[in-house]
Amino acid sequence: MILTVTLNPTLDKFYWVDRLPLSLERVEEEILIRAKKSATSAGGKGINVSIFLACMGVDTVAMGFLAGHTGQIILRDVLARGVTANFVWIEGENRTNVTIIERGKEYHPVKIHEQGPAIPPHAVDMFLRKYRRMLRRAEYVVLGGALPPGIPVDFYGELVRLANEAGVRAVVHAGLTALREAIPAKPYFIKPDVRQEAEVGGLPARTEEEIIQAGKHAIQQGVEICLISHHVTGDILVTPQGVWDLEARVPLSRYKNLVGADDALVAGVLYRLVEGDSVLDAVRFGMAAAIASAEIEPKLCLVKSSIEREMQEVEVHRKEGG
Amino acid sequence: MKAHEIMRRDLSSVEVDTPIAEVIHLMEQSGLASLPVVDEEGVLVGIISERDLIRAALPGYLEMLHSASFLPSLNQLSQRLKEMASEPVSKYMHSQVISVRPEDEDLQIADTLLRNELKQLPVVDEEGHLVGVIRRIDLLYRLV
Repeated sequence: MILTVTLNPTLDKFYWVDRLPLSLERVEEEILIRAKKSATSAGGKGINVSIFLACMGVDTVAMGFLAGHTGQIILRDVLARGVTANFVWIEGENRTNVTIIERGKEYHPVKIHEQGPAIPPHAVDMFLRKYRRMLRRAEYVVLGGALPPGIPVDFYGELVRLANEAGVRAVVHAGLTALREAIPAKPYFIKPDVRQEAEVGGLPARTEEEIIQAGKHAIQQGVEICLISHHVTGDILVTPQGVWDLEARVPLSRYKNLVGADDALVAGVLYRLVEGDSVLDAVRFGMAAAIASAEIEPKLCLVKSSIEREMQEVEVHRKEGG
Repeated sequence: MKAHEIMRRDLSSVEVDTPIAEVIHLMEQSGLASLPVVDEEGVLVGIISERDLIRAALPGYLEMLHSASFLPSLNQLSQRLKEMASEPVSKYMHSQVISVRPEDEDLQIADTLLRNELKQLPVVDEEGHLVGVIRRIDLLYRLV
């Protein structure tokens, strides 16, 4: 079973528009944008990973905090997609993340992300009890996304330590402080994205050389797989065995919706690792899952044959070792 | 159709030492009228419902409510619930839980629900771990 943790779940709301006017032509006007289409789905990095895995037939349990009417909608969607849910309910309301996608500029969406409810200490205690219990049945645990208000900055470090004690491989699918604090606890797999934050584990990651050095530093600290996204179609894989550059030959014009593509990447890697693939083959499949997801309007591509077709687009170059 | 095809894979539950106040809070937040109770291993050991709480707070109260002419004050119920607030759910839960297995057939599930006048049935694996819940409406929805 693959356990996923989403401490700050979201209701993802997508609007597709023909044109997105961001300035007024006349001061007395208001801006009215009519959406040609809209879609809603449960989200947050861990939940997206669970949805992908459940669709691929992998037993998966999603954990985290739900609140209010939005929480009910998130739960309903998660359950409808075959994911087992084990959430802690708190006061307040889960966040809604809005993405506006303009025709012809699909790779430059406009996003509005809410902060999410604060997590009270008693709910954190309840979550930890459930987490320890679920670890007994898990093979991997994915810790996904930013930390909500009320959660200590070293929380992922604590969750990684508990996973390691239980013999469960921990995956940290987050960045900045959450990742920095988790690396010393030795997660099995980390997936930073330096497009949004040019650092990995506290080290700068602006150039390819810096990215590789930061990846190697994480490996020296005990991480087994460090997969760093550095542009829309490129990732660098660093493991104790070597360094690889993975590139997808896909023009930006083919992308329809980039939200969730990095979650498809993590989920695709895990799906193939569970199936017994090598790390390199699993990462190729993960990249193909990310591309296939980015090329369709729904958040995640859940059709295995479409993903497998995209694998031919992924080029792998060994840079060091291997 | 088998239980695992019908069940809601929702593991919302409380542990045996969860205080009653937290149980009520969870029921209110989640919208669930009853909750499975599990031990440290996640094994189902009981079930607690709104009805159990009211009955525990004021024995006989539910029966009295069947009379339309009887509308008592809620002060006594409120006072008793406040007294119970810090007590563990294990004190008030039903320990003899009727459950089904993931491979059980829909006919057996319907029979169990109807015969025991239950609104929902926990589903447990061979080791007794809670793996889902079947509500009456889940069965009706799939049969219609």
